[in-house]
Amino acid sequence: MALNILKDFFGGTNKLERFWLLSKIEFKLRYYENILGLIWALIKPISDCLIYYIAFEFILKSGFPQYVSFLFIGLILWNFFLESATGTIQILSTKKYLYEYTNMNKIEIYLSVIGSNLIGLFFNTLMFSFYFLLIENGSTYFSWHVIFFIPIILNLIILSLGFSLILSTIYILAKDIQQIWLIVANLGFWLSPILFSPDLFNSRLRTLKYINPISSIIINARTIIIYHHLPEWKLMAWGFVYATFFLLIGIYMLNTLGAKAAEKL
Amino acid sequence: MKPETDNNIAVAARNISKKFHITEDSHNTVKQRLFRMFNPPHAKIVDALKMMSFDIKRGECFGLIGRNGSGKSTLVRMLAGVYPTDTGYVQINGSTMLMNLGVGMSHELTARENIYVSGSVLGLKIKEIDLIFDKIIEFAELQEFIDVKIKFFSSGMLARLGFSIAVNAGADVMFLDEIFAVGDVKFQEKAIKVFEKSWIEQKTVVLISHNMGIIQKYCQRVAYIKNGNLEYIGDSETAIKIYLADNE
Repeated sequence: MALNILKDFFGGTNKLERFWLLSKIEFKLRYYENILGLIWALIKPISDCLIYYIAFEFILKSGFPQYVSFLFIGLILWNFFLESATGTIQILSTKKYLYEYTNMNKIEIYLSVIGSNLIGLFFNTLMFSFYFLLIENGSTYFSWHVIFFIPIILNLIILSLGFSLILSTIYILAKDIQQIWLIVANLGFWLSPILFSPDLFNSRLRTLKYINPISSIIINARTIIIYHHLPEWKLMAWGFVYATFFLLIGIYMLNTLGAKAAEKL
Repeated sequence: MKPETDNNIAVAARNISKKFHITEDSHNTVKQRLFRMFNPPHAKIVDALKMMSFDIKRGECFGLIGRNGSGKSTLVRMLAGVYPTDTGYVQINGSTMLMNLGVGMSHELTARENIYVSGSVLGLKIKEIDLIFDKIIEFAELQEFIDVKIKFFSSGMLARLGFSIAVNAGADVMFLDEIFAVGDVKFQEKAIKVFEKSWIEQKTVVLISHNMGIIQKYCQRVAYIKNGNLEYIGDSETAIKIYLADNE
C-alpha cells in the first residue's frame, strides 16, 4: 500500500503539486489571516520558552545548563504534534468541501495539514538554530549528529498523522472528543520530557520514557543536537514501532469510520 | 471478485445498496452515549437504495429520473465515490465530480484560490490551471472579484463560479444534479451552450433532472428509480414513458 501511495505521488500525477498547494493554503489560512501574520508562527515557541524559562530558572532556580535550547527543542516538537493532532480533530467537517463532491482520497487532506505544520516547523527550527548558534551561552555548535534529526522528524510525522487520523474519525461519532483530548493532551504535556531535566525525568518518570510515544522523539532530538551523541537506538526503534502502530490504527479507522464522514457530518 | 478492467466502462456498480439509520436525537457525544447506554434512542432504518447493478459507459450521457426522495441523490453520491456502499461495490475509472447547486469550494478562500484548489482536486496540474484560469473567471463574469473571499459572494456569483470551474476543469465522470437551475436566464443559456459543446461530446455525464425535455434531448440511456428500486434501465423514451405513467 505504501508503495502504491509513493508511486501515485511521484509517478506523473498531480498529487505532489496538490499536496504542496493545499499545504501552502493551509499555512496561509492559519497565520497570514492575523495582523501579525507569519510572525505569530515564530512568536509562539519563543513566548512559550520565555514563560517556562521564567518559571523554572528564575522562580524554581533549576540551574540547568543550556536550559533555553533544551526547552526550545522540546516545545517546537511538542507543538508540532499538538497542532497536527488537536488542529485536525474537526478536519473532516471543515474540509468537507474537498471530498464531498469528488472521489479524492481523504488521506491527502491530512497530509496537507502535516505539510503546513512542517512549514511552521521549518521556521521554528531556523529560529532555534539562530538562538543556539549565536545567542546561547558557551560554545554551542551543530555536529554531524544533526543528520539524525531527519529520522526523528519522520517518526514525529508518523506519530502525529496517526493521532490526527484517530481523533478526527472519533469526532464523527463523538463531537466532545475535542474537550476530552484537550485534557489528555494537557496531561501528556506534563508527562513528557519537555520541561524537566533528564535527571529529574529519569528519576521520577522513568517508565514513561517508553510508555509516552513522544518521549523518544524529544529525548533523541536533544541527544543529537545539544549533547552531540548518537541517538539511543533502542528508544528510536521503539518510537517508530509505537508511531507505526498508531498510524495503522488511524488508517483503519479512516477506511471504516472515515468513509462515512460525508453522510454523518 | 472485481471484474476485468473494461476500457469502455466509466462506472461499474455491482449489487450496491444503502440503508440509513436515523435516530430520534443526534446522540453524538461521549456524554450522551454514556448516559443513554442502557436506554439507546430508537433508530429507524430507511432502505434508501435496494440492491442494483449496472454500468455507465465511457462517453455516454446517462440520465437518472425519479420523484423527490426516490434515492437519486444517494445513488449519485455512491456512484461518485462520496458515500460508501453497504453491499457490493462501485468501480470508478478516473476522477469524478459531483455538481448540484455548487461544487466543493471553501468560503474562507478567494475565487483564485478556489479555482486552483478545485482544479487540482479534479486532477489538473498547476500549469494546466494557469492556462484555463482566465477562461474560468471570464465565463463566471467575476473579473473584478478574483481576489475576494467567496464568503462575500452572492449566491448567484457562487453558482456561476462553481459552474465555470466544472465546465472548464471537469472530471472524467461528471455527475450533474439539476444544474440548469444556475444563475439568471442569460447565464443559463450560456451554460446550456457550453454543456452541449464540451460535455456531451467529450465526457461521461450522469444527468439528474426533473425536466424530461432535457433528459430526452441529451441522454442515450436512462435509469428510473422508484422508492429506492431500479425500476427500469434502458432507452430514454421508454424510461420517461414509465415514469410519466407512474405519476399520472
